[in-house]
Amino acid sequence: MSGDAENKPGGAPPELDPVIHAQARLRVVAALNVLADGDEMAFNSLKELLGMTAGNLSVHLTKLEDAGYVRITKTHRGRTPVTYVALTKRGRLAFEEYTAAIRALLDNAGGVR
Amino acid sequence: MVDDDERAPSPEEMLRVIEEQSHATVRLLQGDPRLLYVPWGVSWLLGFAALFLHYGLDGRSYLPISQMQAVSVLMGAMIVAGAVSAYGIVKMNKSVRGDTSARGAMYGYAWLAGMVLASLIAIRLGPMLPAAERGLLWAGGPLLVVALLYMLGGAIWLNWPMFFIGGWTAGVNALGVLLGPGPHALLTAVLLGGGFIAAGLWLWRRQRG
Repeated sequence: MSGDAENKPGGAPPELDPVIHAQARLRVVAALNVLADGDEMAFNSLKELLGMTAGNLSVHLTKLEDAGYVRITKTHRGRTPVTYVALTKRGRLAFEEYTAAIRALLDNAGGVR
Repeated sequence: MVDDDERAPSPEEMLRVIEEQSHATVRLLQGDPRLLYVPWGVSWLLGFAALFLHYGLDGRSYLPISQMQAVSVLMGAMIVAGAVSAYGIVKMNKSVRGDTSARGAMYGYAWLAGMVLASLIAIRLGPMLPAAERGLLWAGGPLLVVALLYMLGGAIWLNWPMFFIGGWTAGVNALGVLLGPGPHALLTAVLLGGGFIAAGLWLWRRQRG
């Protein structure tokens, strides 16, 4: 975990969460992490923001939902079905740990951060 | 199938992805400052410039333009500004639901309540005042609402530029009201009209940077 990496700069490299360590899912999580607690983003807005197809985004969201990182709510706005997506507490924590681990890796490598 | 996204990129690349995606999301959620500030700036610049040309600094008109004509320019420009910024707000809010959008809706109703109340006060008290003072009531009252709601918006969303823009509006309005209708119109046209245009463009540039 990130904490280990920070405590032992010369030790084993921090493990990166495989669920988030894929560019598309990392972008999903990074986008949702910007939302305030209690907010959800409409699926279509997220799709446009990320420039993904609906099918592609759905696949990644399912993987994130299976890991307990996102919460998906299907509802209606008038008669139109709308899907909302939010990061769970677990997802937010996983993203924070992933970011810390990436920074630790860069620090260990004498990187830019 | 392993798609293109599943390859393991370098930590630098991943950090860059995080930063870029976070910025893009903030841009989406904050809305386009060009739609939220610039239309108001343009409407005040045009409307209050027309009022200034009517009042003049010493009570003599610089152009043969009646108070009604100048007010019509201001009102017409403000209706256009309201429509453009409402479009910006709707575009900004349709992406998200939850506490933030509830806060935004309450804030929107506060604008409506403030503007209706300022107009009612001016409608009731305006006829009792001389023409120039009546104009000041119509201009200064709504600007009081604008100033307070921008400052309040800054407090709600912890948005310092918004808070300072509200404070700037309050200061310019206060000074103008003290100096009288001509100076009020001039100060509002230049410092608030020009100020909102400059602020909108500056915030937009900062958002993109």
